Amino acid sequence: MRFCRHFSLFGALGVLVTLLGSCASLGTTETSRLDLVKQRGELFCGVSGKIPGFSFLSPEGTYTGLDVDICRAMAAAFVGDADKVQYRPLTAPERFTALRSGEIDLLSRNTTQTLSRDAAGGNGISFAPVVFHDGQGLIVPKDSGVQSLQDLSGKAICVGSGTTTEQNLNDAFAALGLPYTPIKYQDLNQVVGGYLQGRCAAMTSDRSQLAAARSGFADPEEHVILADRLSKEPLAPGVVGGDQQMADAMTWVVYALIEAEERGITQANVDAMVKKAEADPSQAALRRFLGVDGDLGSKLGLPNDFVVKAIRATGNYGEIYDRHLGPDTEVAIPRGANRLAEDGGLMIAPPFT
Amino acid sequence: MNRWLDRSITLLILALIGWAGWSLLHWLLVGADWSVVTTNLPLYAVGSFPADQRWRPLLWMAVLITLTLLTLVGPKRGWVRRWLPLAWIAMAPLGLWLLAGGLGLLPVGTRSWGGLTLTLLLTGGSGALALPLGILLALGRRSDLPVLRWSSAGYIELMRAVPLIAVLFFGQLLIPLFLPPGLEINRVLRAVVAFALFAAAYIAEDVRGGLQAIPPTQREAAAVLGLSPVQTLQLVVLPQALRIALPSLTNQAVGLLQNTSLMAILGLVELLGISRSLLANPAFIGRYLEVYLWLAAVYWLACTAMALLARHLEFQLDPVRSSR
Repeated sequence: MRFCRHFSLFGALGVLVTLLGSCASLGTTETSRLDLVKQRGELFCGVSGKIPGFSFLSPEGTYTGLDVDICRAMAAAFVGDADKVQYRPLTAPERFTALRSGEIDLLSRNTTQTLSRDAAGGNGISFAPVVFHDGQGLIVPKDSGVQSLQDLSGKAICVGSGTTTEQNLNDAFAALGLPYTPIKYQDLNQVVGGYLQGRCAAMTSDRSQLAAARSGFADPEEHVILADRLSKEPLAPGVVGGDQQMADAMTWVVYALIEAEERGITQANVDAMVKKAEADPSQAALRRFLGVDGDLGSKLGLPNDFVVKAIRATGNYGEIYDRHLGPDTEVAIPRGANRLAEDGGLMIAPPFT
Repeated sequence: MNRWLDRSITLLILALIGWAGWSLLHWLLVGADWSVVTTNLPLYAVGSFPADQRWRPLLWMAVLITLTLLTLVGPKRGWVRRWLPLAWIAMAPLGLWLLAGGLGLLPVGTRSWGGLTLTLLLTGGSGALALPLGILLALGRRSDLPVLRWSSAGYIELMRAVPLIAVLFFGQLLIPLFLPPGLEINRVLRAVVAFALFAAAYIAEDVRGGLQAIPPTQREAAAVLGLSPVQTLQLVVLPQALRIALPSLTNQAVGLLQNTSLMAILGLVELLGISRSLLANPAFIGRYLEVYLWLAAVYWLACTAMALLARHLEFQLDPVRSSR
């Protein structure tokens, strides 16, 4: 038996050595993540993979959605090829861990920007500008004629019980001084069931979730999401904090998508716009934006024409939105707060100077 | 009078069963929309593996199925039968090579692994690690050295007292935080190791049961024949003990395969994970029933194949029946 004792010890040692040997080699933390991405030639992007309209698997086996297009625009700007992205499907609890451990470079996963997620004393994430202003909304049958919260006065509303959703609903109606009857359910599926059975005049949840639920209805076009928003859920991409170069690059790629929409630069006309800018020296602002003049890109550590590359890959913000959440899609969400500031929304880009 | 009551109850029950069966059949054939399964078949099989490299995991699974069929219904003797054990052992390195690439194949990161391939790889990998570890733990628990005995028993008791999901969470979420930044252990490997460490505790107890069933006279007889302790273990004790433990080991293996579905809530796109991603596609929203029925069928098929293989092995190892 003495031998076999030794054997078990050696066996245990062997397992340990194999484990240690399989660990990757140590990397340095001094350089910016952006340099690492450029050197690798590939962006590691964390997505959800399970949210209709934002990120899901298409039958071709590729990820699609608004969150995914943000990753693609980043990859186009950073390494020049929108297809050079490795997607990492993440669940909510592991998303910040994956960022901090370096498993992903960039998080583009329906993440609400909050103080404690941003602060160094919290999760320490650097957030990009908001790419989708989500918020609690209400869905009603189209033929009910309900247009706003006022029309729901005294009606029954289906809501998940014990959630912030229920609180927000209560607050909104209390603020307006309107009566209503909450019909409470345990989870969203039951809320949907109650609404479809006609037990309430409206149901409430996050607007993206309402849109997803609606696309599963037998007659989705018979239901509309009201323009009222009862809470704010600004969803923004993020990178690990304390890396200014990476955070700035990400931030300005998002701004570039918005600025391009403001300027009417689309995937289809971006090359014509570049030609126009090159031919016409009087278009100073356009020339700077598209990288014909100046060194805006290189200040960020990106190529000067990073805007052109991003727009060529995904189109401007409005195009991305319409592709995945626009009226022609099955997850149609009214643009509402996600319109440009000039159209009454919240999307605005600082000057590219 | 009583007979008529019996008859009517029987008829009523038959009618109910017939009605349920008919509505199920009607739904399966007419009501259900199977496009969510049929258009995504390659994804269930290989996940988001690059489309031009899909033949690699598919080839691996084809070889796996061929081997299973050969083992179960292939020729009873001859060279095929002789090479089968070796072929089974070669499946693990072959699978790793085909999936990960290198040595002439395009490297593919574990991020792109998924679907049934990943499920089978997780099961196979953790099973292959857990079995030797479990045997060592079982031997350790019966050792004469107090330290070894207590540490083995302590490990087994600890692991059995912790829920599997806690071990997996620890492996997937906490380990990366403890490691220095930049040092990254592949998360498929982390999952395999977590599963293996957990399953080893259970396997150890199954093997211990087998070891205890071997009467001490066997060891004594082996010693009299001049066998060393290692030889005794290798030639006399372990073969018998493992054969006795085989039914419970099969239980563990089937359980392991099903437990891999827990990885879906930890972000690995194995069979269940890929299904949840596909259900998020607006084109297939609300097709839960079809997808989960399909998943049940796939899991059932995989588990049944494993159970049949184990029964086959049991039969082969039985000295009385196999010598007939």
